[in-house]
Amino acid sequence: MTVLEDIKASIPALRRYARALMRDRDRADDLVQDCLERAVAKRHLWRGDGPVQAWLFRILINRYRDLQRQSPQPGHLVAIEDLTYEPAQGGNQEASLALREVQDAMARLPGDQREALLIVALEGKTFDQAASLLDIPKGTLMSRLARARATLRLLTGRSAGPTLTKGPSMGAMK
Amino acid sequence: MTDQTALTDAELLDYAAGQLPAEVMATIAARLADDPAARATLAEWQRQNAALEALYQPVAREPVPDRLTDVIRRAEAEDAAKATGRPRARLWLVAATIAALAVGAGAGWFARDLTAPLAASQTLAANAMRAYETYVVEVAHPVEVAASDADHLNAWMSKRLGQETRPPDFAAAGFTLMGGRIVPSDQGAAALYMYDNAQGQRITLYIAPQGASSTTAFQFAQQGATSSFYWMDRDLSYAVVGTVPREVLRSIALAAYDQLI
Repeated sequence: MTVLEDIKASIPALRRYARALMRDRDRADDLVQDCLERAVAKRHLWRGDGPVQAWLFRILINRYRDLQRQSPQPGHLVAIEDLTYEPAQGGNQEASLALREVQDAMARLPGDQREALLIVALEGKTFDQAASLLDIPKGTLMSRLARARATLRLLTGRSAGPTLTKGPSMGAMK
Repeated sequence: MTDQTALTDAELLDYAAGQLPAEVMATIAARLADDPAARATLAEWQRQNAALEALYQPVAREPVPDRLTDVIRRAEAEDAAKATGRPRARLWLVAATIAALAVGAGAGWFARDLTAPLAASQTLAANAMRAYETYVVEVAHPVEVAASDADHLNAWMSKRLGQETRPPDFAAAGFTLMGGRIVPSDQGAAALYMYDNAQGQRITLYIAPQGASSTTAFQFAQQGATSSFYWMDRDLSYAVVGTVPREVLRSIALAAYDQLI
């Protein structure tokens, strides 16, 4: 596979991760396009030290962080019409979470927790891979993951147990 | 194992990820049996994973928007253009050779070693560029023998190089012969012809003998603003040097090749 073929093959995963990070379809694809343009411009410098996909994720994450710094969106709320996926209705509430609730809750996570949770839970990266992609120590990754999961649990109204008595304030979560 | 402390988040994360040695996994599994809160946490995490999967996994199966695949397509087209650009130049050289042979240029040489980069050819470029730098700045004596004295120039150059040598005509590229001089080279006397155009830009053609017969394709060298196309053809090596745009220099090199074979 050439670098370009590798890049092309990574687009679906990049889109999935970007969509989950950004929520908005167009803005997510903007992020992916930006990432692709950068990667393509630097493809001749690619030394082949590791998977192309990991390189792309790093570019995407860095770009995402740039965007976050430019226009941070603390707890941006989501209009129902923004949902591109019709959440499953009914069903066994014990067995499955309401997707809209999860989507809303994800949007209210701090960016660094969202990055961490999605790279592991959605993209299936190992902790070592995830820490490397996010350029953070593994311990930091683990604590972000734990906080992200606890916050998500709290925000989806399924908080149980004494570890979550801090309340939903974002300040306390950071 | 009922007296164990509650499992920590870190332990649970590792356990959920299955990224622990088998014996540690077994130990945690045993402790989970007595830790309903931890079991509930694990179950909740699994539901979170399932929800995230349900929300975003479909994105990866969507058709990729054109504006994203276009980025790749453009790059592929660029690479393809670059990849075919070089062979086309070589094909041109082969074609020129065949054409030259067809008009009876005599001893056949074949398109061998066309791409082999030779140390000797790099020396050639360096010598030719040095000669250019030395003489192109001359106002009073840019050449030893002026173009107006063509017979003398041709006789002299042919004698010193040991074979019939005449300067090619670059009028098509707008350059006319000023004259020539003899300059030193690694293999004895070399000819340096100088040309200029209406704007006063100067280029040189350097022709040096070679120790051994060899043939190469055109090669390009650049040093600061000065660039050179150079090549070897049987027992002579050639280099055109100038500060003109690369395409202009290239057309001059092609004209020289055509006329000198």
